[in-house]
Amino acid sequence: MTRDEIKTNILLIFDEEFEIVNPGLDDNLTEDHDFDSIDALELLGEIEKILGSELTRQEKKDAMEIRTVNQICDYVASLAVKRALM
Amino acid sequence: MERRVVITAASAITPIGHTKDELIDSLINGKSGVKKIKEDDLLTDRVESKVFGTVSYPIDFDFKRKYRKTMGPVAYYACQVVKEALESAGLEQDFISSGRMGVAFGSTHGSPTVQRQIYEHFFSGSEERFSAIGAVDYLKSMVHTTAVNITKMFEITGRVISSSTACTTSSQSIGYGYEAIKYGMQDAMICGGADEYDTTTVAVFDNLLACSTEYNQTPHLTPRPFDTKRDGLVVGEGAGAVLLEEYELARKRGANILGEVIGFWCGNNGGDLILPNMAGISETIIQGLQNAGLEPNDVDFVSAHATATKMGDVAESMAIGNVYGKGPHVTGLKSYMGHTMGSCGVIETIITLHMMEKGFIAPTLNLEEVDPRCDMIRHTGKLREIPIKIASIQNFAFGGVNTSLFLKKV
Repeated sequence: MTRDEIKTNILLIFDEEFEIVNPGLDDNLTEDHDFDSIDALELLGEIEKILGSELTRQEKKDAMEIRTVNQICDYVASLAVKRALM
Repeated sequence: MERRVVITAASAITPIGHTKDELIDSLINGKSGVKKIKEDDLLTDRVESKVFGTVSYPIDFDFKRKYRKTMGPVAYYACQVVKEALESAGLEQDFISSGRMGVAFGSTHGSPTVQRQIYEHFFSGSEERFSAIGAVDYLKSMVHTTAVNITKMFEITGRVISSSTACTTSSQSIGYGYEAIKYGMQDAMICGGADEYDTTTVAVFDNLLACSTEYNQTPHLTPRPFDTKRDGLVVGEGAGAVLLEEYELARKRGANILGEVIGFWCGNNGGDLILPNMAGISETIIQGLQNAGLEPNDVDFVSAHATATKMGDVAESMAIGNVYGKGPHVTGLKSYMGHTMGSCGVIETIITLHMMEKGFIAPTLNLEEVDPRCDMIRHTGKLREIPIKIASIQNFAFGGVNTSLFLKKV
């Protein structure tokens, strides 16, 4: 799994699940795209599918400060490394 | 200080139509909205009642995802009728979000469709399926899902009342909305109820032997309120919303006033949770009349709850007979569409407003031979061109809850 693949996956999820098409990678998702706390929880479920494993409570808490697509990609990449997927 | 309260907008999704013209056409031409029940893989093979008051036409829901994501089918219905009512009312968004406007809206038990999906995950025994329970499932299924999805979509910041008293859900919504304005707590309330297509409700009444089963091949001939050949209720789906406003504010902004709410009462039988209770119904009518400042002979029309059960119709007829005698015309509007549960009170209110405006009273459909035990009241056996000045809508629910609502033509 490369970071580019992660980015492609995340952007596809934003398109299909959240109807947010091609957001800027550094856009503030809450302010620029109405991405809210409910969406964040749904996204964590989608990330679990990408990783093929459940997130721990701490990993979920770590995600609460994320604001941009780039930060999401970094977050997923770090979890993938932890799970020896990268 | 008591203030006058008027209804300035209304919208309904019903088995007999969506628009005002469709509703009136069905009433005048005796069109039934009862259809054969839609097959599901859950209960329809096992219930004996094979009929349902069905919304069979397409509805163009045009909601953005940010709203859709917390909505089950029942909230789609609720938000659609509220959207239509608010569009026709023409209120300013500043007022809608001022805190002076609230919501009184409910359903029998939220979204049973979404609840079933949750339980499927719970009882699947699969870890993966357990973790698949979505973060928004509760928001879609919870009892107050209609009310708060409405607040979100229309940015309403005032009071939230979410009754979930089955068949009196939306009559309570209107009644409590009326009281909130009458006593000065709010200036406007969007009120109503909704229930989605749900066969578990059919199973509940079927198991109590309260559902109609004799007309499975001829759905349009049931339910038959007050008729000797009635054999029970027919469960249905639908939604309705009415906008209530303080009279002076409505008048000043030039609102189209559909009618005035002049009284409301809600009481309980104080005993059995299922059996209809003539004394409890009578008391609710009497208290409602007092609340409205009316004498029984002031009332021109009674929209009876009239579910077409053997005992319920008799108890209600006796109660109406005791209080009103053979004065007002009485119609059981469920004869057209079945029992739309949480939405029946508001749908019957909206139909009554339409009849008030157009100057007619629709007959009880399928009433061919009045049961002698229901014959102490003035049944509407055929279409009447009679003006309604004052009308009452009465509804009763499991749990012994009774409501009576009084409307006046302005």
